[in-house]
Amino acid sequence: MQDTGKNIIIAGVGGQGILLFSNLLGKFYMKLGYELKTSDVIGLGQRGGGVESHFRYSNKPVLSPFIKAGDVDYVISFEQTETLRHLHCLKKEGVVFSSTYELTSSSVNTRLQKDLPESKTDIIKRSENKTFIIDPEENKSSEFNINKMMNIFMLGYYAEFRGYSHDEMIQIVKESVPAKFVEGNIKAYEKGSAIARAELVVS
Amino acid sequence: MKTGNEFAAMKMMNGNEAVARGAFEAGVKIASGFPGTPSTEVMDYTNLKYPDIYCEWSTNEKVALEVAIGASFAGYRSMAIMKTVGLHVAADALGGAAGSQINGGLVLVVGDDVGRIAGDDYNDCRHYGNMFNIPVLEPSDSQEAKDLMVKAFEISEEYSTPVILKITSVTCKTTSRVVIDEEYNFQVRHREKYPVSFSKVIMTTIMTKAKGSEHPKLTKCFNNFTAHMKRLADDSNNFAINKLELNGTKIGIITAGTPYYYVKEVLPEASVLKLGLVMPLPEKQIRELAEHVDKLYVIEDGHDIIEKNIKDLGVSVIGKELFPRFPDMMRFTPDIIEEKLVPGAVKRTPMKDVPFRLPVSCAGCSHLFVSRILKKHKIKAAADVTCGLIGCFPHMESYSLQKCMGSSIALAHGYNKAKGQDENFVAMIGDGGFWATGINGLMNLIFNNGQSTVIIVDNSCLAMTGGQHVASSEFGFNYKPENKLDIAKVCEAIGVSDIVSVDAYEFDNLEESILNSVNAKTNSVVIVKKPCVTKFKLPKATPSYIDQDKCTKCRKCVGIGCLAIESKTNDGLVDIVINQDICTGCGLCSTTCKFEAIKS
Ligand SMILES: Cc1ncc(C[n+]2csc(CCOP(=O)(O)OP(=O)(O)O)c2C)c(N)n1
Ligand code: SF4
Ligand code: SF4
Repeated sequence: MQDTGKNIIIAGVGGQGILLFSNLLGKFYMKLGYELKTSDVIGLGQRGGGVESHFRYSNKPVLSPFIKAGDVDYVISFEQTETLRHLHCLKKEGVVFSSTYELTSSSVNTRLQKDLPESKTDIIKRSENKTFIIDPEENKSSEFNINKMMNIFMLGYYAEFRGYSHDEMIQIVKESVPAKFVEGNIKAYEKGSAIARAELVVS
Repeated sequence: MKTGNEFAAMKMMNGNEAVARGAFEAGVKIASGFPGTPSTEVMDYTNLKYPDIYCEWSTNEKVALEVAIGASFAGYRSMAIMKTVGLHVAADALGGAAGSQINGGLVLVVGDDVGRIAGDDYNDCRHYGNMFNIPVLEPSDSQEAKDLMVKAFEISEEYSTPVILKITSVTCKTTSRVVIDEEYNFQVRHREKYPVSFSKVIMTTIMTKAKGSEHPKLTKCFNNFTAHMKRLADDSNNFAINKLELNGTKIGIITAGTPYYYVKEVLPEASVLKLGLVMPLPEKQIRELAEHVDKLYVIEDGHDIIEKNIKDLGVSVIGKELFPRFPDMMRFTPDIIEEKLVPGAVKRTPMKDVPFRLPVSCAGCSHLFVSRILKKHKIKAAADVTCGLIGCFPHMESYSLQKCMGSSIALAHGYNKAKGQDENFVAMIGDGGFWATGINGLMNLIFNNGQSTVIIVDNSCLAMTGGQHVASSEFGFNYKPENKLDIAKVCEAIGVSDIVSVDAYEFDNLEESILNSVNAKTNSVVIVKKPCVTKFKLPKATPSYIDQDKCTKCRKCVGIGCLAIESKTNDGLVDIVINQDICTGCGLCSTTCKFEAIKS
């Protein structure tokens, strides 16, 4: 069936390359001829704040830049506290891609607030939606720093899940990241897509 | 403007980029401004992509607008870029320009931080439209941001008035398609229609007192601005940028900006009046819509300004009573409109108890050193609007007073004058805040015989807005080494008794300098030097780590507010750890640990 479009929330914390991720995805869907709107919501403060990008592509003109809660097809999250903030936005058949990376909230560090009593990974796994959990520790590599390149790793993962052409996506990555990071990013991309391939066989 | 289809190209642009493109297509010659989220990038893109346009970050918004007004009088199209709190600073200059004769089009690009998504205010720049009787335009997406920018200049010249283009945190940060003419040739517009341009005070004095005289010395000063605005209001009923879409008769919506698209998505059947010009209002179109529908609503981000202006026309609309603003709602979303206007809509609520993220400084930031010393010695201090204001948040508690940009020196001066000098209430200010308006506070302090201590955190840029240059930076759009200003020399020239400069990372030295200054019964300035680690990508030292055998979980180090120090819970056990990817090895945390658990 023809893909008429999707609504995606990309989430994480500052410094994780969320805006780059949405930018690359944008270039990809532009090439496929889709209409799109992306909107970035950057949290309070300088660092350690939440960042989210609303990404919508469609074969019809996209109206609202923000996705209504309940209309989200995919939550792609690089930090699991942030994943939890967006679970309620998913459609019934929506899918979650979530890294187990966690940056403890400043309010928890300073004991102004209590953290959730349970493991966040468990809560995510328990959600009614299909979930893919990615543990950066398990996917460490000497060829790239997964904590810095989780975005591109996730891009490979997502592209594999969607059955997209990796050549095209890799081309976009090459054109968009600074020359000295191209090699590491491609390794991250390939690892991400390989892990997804293995995962998809199982599920 | 030429938009020959053969050269038309689709580009993805965010609102800021599109405004810059619009300025280029309008033939702008001068762009001045002062950084502020969300509109800072309008200047960045203008400077980066359109070298034909002269760009400057001015010392503050008032200066920026005055520069633009001067350029406009010279006959060139000019724009001033700022956020709404910046327009408060520039309001006096705008009051002077409003109602006066305009040669080259004068447009203020003003960013409203709706929803406090990224910023610090719940302001609405459209109030200035009402107050000064000047037009305000508001785009809904990037295409309109570009097109309305061109329109804004046309209106400015045709109706002889400054124009505000209101953009918001949503339009600025939303990327959508824009059609541009790639072969467009930049053309500077020049128009010197009026030999003089005086503020309303002078102009109306002459006009009202010399009624009937046709002497050219008098008439050249006349500008019937109320008639211009009346004509604009009438004409706006036929402007293509105001779109009346008559559909169903149940619900009518008057809207502007991105909320237009929320409405189109949630209420496809509704009749809609979409305003591109939000001030003055197209009265005929409003009445036509009001007659067409049973119920008329206003959906506008920010304050209830369109709503009030419509009510003033004697048309009844529903707005604020259905959509109460702050603190009930930060900004409109499609969800809110659906909840209130679509019967039976399901409301989804976020998961409870997911911990909130208070803002934190970058690891290795010089502000943390200052905060730590103030807190350690219980020195009471005022913070300015800088990255350092994170020290005001409850997880840091280093400062007890903080107000607007550039204020801290005068705040401390006032406090000390009131309380007497026994308690030296200290002012902390960034280099940007100092040059913006803080320098006035310092001059004031000196000649009024104040004795306060001022800590100037000199990180060579406006860090909080992303690292733009200031007068004392060694880079910048118009930078020349010989024109760089020197903070210490200026303080000396102003007459400060005691001035020291210290490297932020020399903790003991910094501590001693601050204590000496605070304890000396005289006015003093401590300049804390260290380029912003993030802007200048300072090289990292070996990261520190915490020896878990020695750590007693006293959490003293957590209190310094470094992003790298985390409290991790594993199987119910808490560990205080240093995130190795984030730590810069600055060494600050080890000064807090009594148990010598922090090592590098
Ligand atoms: C009147 C006004 N203009 C602009 C801003 C936006 N703004 C917030 S912080 C900041 C930069 C502060 O720079 P500086 O004083 O050098 O402190 P730093 O962040 O570098 O520590 C600016 C421009 C504002 N809040 N108020
Ligand atoms: S951006 Fe610079 S000044 Fe601001 S918190 Fe980070 S290091 Fe400090
Ligand atoms: S040394 Fe300590 S204070 Fe400095 S960046 Fe690392 S964890 Fe933060």
